Amino acid sequence: MNEDKMKKFLNISLLTLTVLSTLSLASCKNEVDNIFDEDAIIRLDKAKAEYMDILTSNGGRWQLEYFANEEEQGYIYLMTFAKDGSVKISGHNKWINQVLVGNSNTSAFGSEVSMWEVIADNGPVLTFNTYNRFFHLFADPYDIPSQSSAQASTDVNESGYGHAGNYEFDIMKYSGDTLYLTGKKPTQTERYLNMIMTRVKSSAEDEVYMNEVVAMTDSFFNSKVNQVYINLPNGVRWIVKNGATSILKMFREDADEISTSETHNIIITHDGLSFMDPVTLDGYVIKNFIRQPDGSLLCRDDNQTTMTADVLSNIFSNKSFIWKGELNNMGGVFADMLNTITAELKAYNKSTLNFAQIAYESNENDNTGSFIVSFNIKKGSVKYNPGYYVTIEKVNDNQVRFTVAPQGNSYGELYAKNCPTIRQFVDTFAATAYDLKANSLLAPVRMTMSQSGSAGNYIIWDLQ
Amino acid sequence: MKKIQYYISALLLVAVAALSLSSCSKEKLGPTIFPDVDETLDPNSYSYQLDKFLKENYLDKYNLTFLYKMPDISTNMNYNLVPAKYENAVDLAVLCKFLWFDVYDKIAGPDFLKLYGPRILLMVGSPALNPSSGSETVGLAEGGVKITLFKLNSMNVNSFEMMNDLYFHTMHHEFAHILHQTKTYPPEFNTISVGKYDATNWTGRGWEVTSVGFLTPYASSEYREDFAETIACFITYTQEDWDFYLSLAARGWETDAAEDATDAVYYSFYYYPNNDSEQEKKPVYLADEKNIAKVTVDGTVHTYWKNERDKDGNRIEVYAVEDKDGIEGDKAILQKVDIARQWFRDAWGVDLDALRQEVQDRQKEYNMDVLRKWVYDIH
Repeated sequence: MNEDKMKKFLNISLLTLTVLSTLSLASCKNEVDNIFDEDAIIRLDKAKAEYMDILTSNGGRWQLEYFANEEEQGYIYLMTFAKDGSVKISGHNKWINQVLVGNSNTSAFGSEVSMWEVIADNGPVLTFNTYNRFFHLFADPYDIPSQSSAQASTDVNESGYGHAGNYEFDIMKYSGDTLYLTGKKPTQTERYLNMIMTRVKSSAEDEVYMNEVVAMTDSFFNSKVNQVYINLPNGVRWIVKNGATSILKMFREDADEISTSETHNIIITHDGLSFMDPVTLDGYVIKNFIRQPDGSLLCRDDNQTTMTADVLSNIFSNKSFIWKGELNNMGGVFADMLNTITAELKAYNKSTLNFAQIAYESNENDNTGSFIVSFNIKKGSVKYNPGYYVTIEKVNDNQVRFTVAPQGNSYGELYAKNCPTIRQFVDTFAATAYDLKANSLLAPVRMTMSQSGSAGNYIIWDLQ
Repeated sequence: MKKIQYYISALLLVAVAALSLSSCSKEKLGPTIFPDVDETLDPNSYSYQLDKFLKENYLDKYNLTFLYKMPDISTNMNYNLVPAKYENAVDLAVLCKFLWFDVYDKIAGPDFLKLYGPRILLMVGSPALNPSSGSETVGLAEGGVKITLFKLNSMNVNSFEMMNDLYFHTMHHEFAHILHQTKTYPPEFNTISVGKYDATNWTGRGWEVTSVGFLTPYASSEYREDFAETIACFITYTQEDWDFYLSLAARGWETDAAEDATDAVYYSFYYYPNNDSEQEKKPVYLADEKNIAKVTVDGTVHTYWKNERDKDGNRIEVYAVEDKDGIEGDKAILQKVDIARQWFRDAWGVDLDALRQEVQDRQKEYNMDVLRKWVYDIH
């Protein structure tokens, strides 16, 4: 080897040496940079302690919006966490009634103390780790009992699954007095259900609080009002059916119900309702609704979308509805006329007036029909229903006007002759337009019909 | 000189490379990343009494963790399971001590369960229901370390039969598994009922399995289950029950269905309407929900049915089915017990009969109010 070759060799050797050393040193650094200040176990322990403190502080009272699976409605549970590891869990639903008395036909309140803990898994996990018969019922693997004998014949055997609900929840985050949870066990469709738990500031007794939730349920969806509407900001309406089941059937008003309807399960909370998952309707994403003073629901996500029943004039003139007017629910000239009618009936045949009613009467022969205002009159054990035909004209969304036909039904004519104030009562309907006001815009089962400009003259009608 | 430089360079290169490589293997471990855990029990805890009882009677004594606060991760996630009720966990904790751990301490010595006992007892509130097979697991032993007991939420401490069936039987069954997984049992046991096991269709079998030498249908699933069942049944069955099952084993059994039919119903007695042997014989079912005959231990079913009449008003005489299977079931069972007895004595130095007697005595006398005080009197 000559000198040049030797130099060249030495240079290559030194270069190789340098590269090798660098690589060798780098190879020792076999851990990624530590982007956290502390080890995972320390951080997990701190997270556990932090969440336990959050859960037990300020009275430790929380409302869990619980979904057992994707097929059922959600249920509210009220939980009071104590530092000693106990938790009082209260609920009010039909499955609690099943536990208490063996049937799930009605809802019942139940409350029991069991235990809880925040444990470490892949992250902090809230677990309810001793059995609470009013909460773990959704995780029990037993067959779900049929709710009616008719259902029994088609009942699915759920043995091994039950409701397949969770009682362990990954704590995802805490923000604004809300804990965001995810059920640890997936559903049968391999989904992990998200749920939220919000701090409850109310000091009401658990049963009172849960009764308020149940009352909220009734105020939203009444089985007498068979459909309500989601009113989107663009003016499009979606029809909502089966509200009373909390498993909503929804379709666009101008679309075909059978081919386009979709099903969404909801939970009714202490102050509104939430869909289990966000729902996109005509590009609008909705999930959480809050109850308004007028009984309607306003979407908290966009502050524009509402949920109401149909406009009141349509509701009042719905041909399938029957409205009953109790005597003590009338005021002004109507109350005055009632007194006269009562006296006339007594003088005529000693009969008594029970209530008034507006309903649509179909004529089966020619497929026509008409609304009829009738009076329920009782003489001895016999009841008579003198009636007078009216048409209802919708003046605007909240106003109607009546036209009364000159002739009533046979008893209508008879009683008009002998108790003329009965006819006068109905004729008064035609004198003016009437303003309509409902107890709730979502479940308008009580309607106040008052004369426009003379609100003191009114009748309150109850939907039958 | 240049050659020397060449060799020095090469040597240096090798040395540095060797040092660089070796440096990776000499990294020292740092301190543990796990924080110290305070094991002190909090007297203000909701579960302090039970936790203290479990620590003193299971953890400190046997290094056994009695898990009653169910972590779902500890179970088979294929099952939908729920935790046990706290009060029921208390009941089973004291019963396990009284009917299992204290028994072995007394008969096998205080170190026996310390050495061979399970390390984890997991309490589960619900059964492990398998939707596909319709079967239900009431106990599990895993790797000789962990025993899982199910259905705590439906247990009734006032029903001795139920407690025996679900727990005491299961405890001894699962512990037998742990023992034979540690020291295997004599292989001759497997030869007694060879050819009669069926790991798939045992769920469709009934008490007719006694006729071929099994104490329970589950015992007929495989050798190891048969061994564990033999021990568990021998220890926990009352003498009356034991004699009854032996009497079942000594009988003949028939079925109208094909023998391999999963829904075959077997019967060991039949009767002739009007006592007329010319007429069609009717089966008398045993151990069936629609049981129409209660057979006494010594088989005196005729006496039982004297003056009885069927729904048509016919007087009933009951006749035994002829035992034609060629197997003396009762003798097979006793032979299995003998092997287990000998194995207990030789492998473990434990007198199985004394163990059985101790369990029998305790089964008769336990008083839950007294036992619960072990927990609820802790302050």
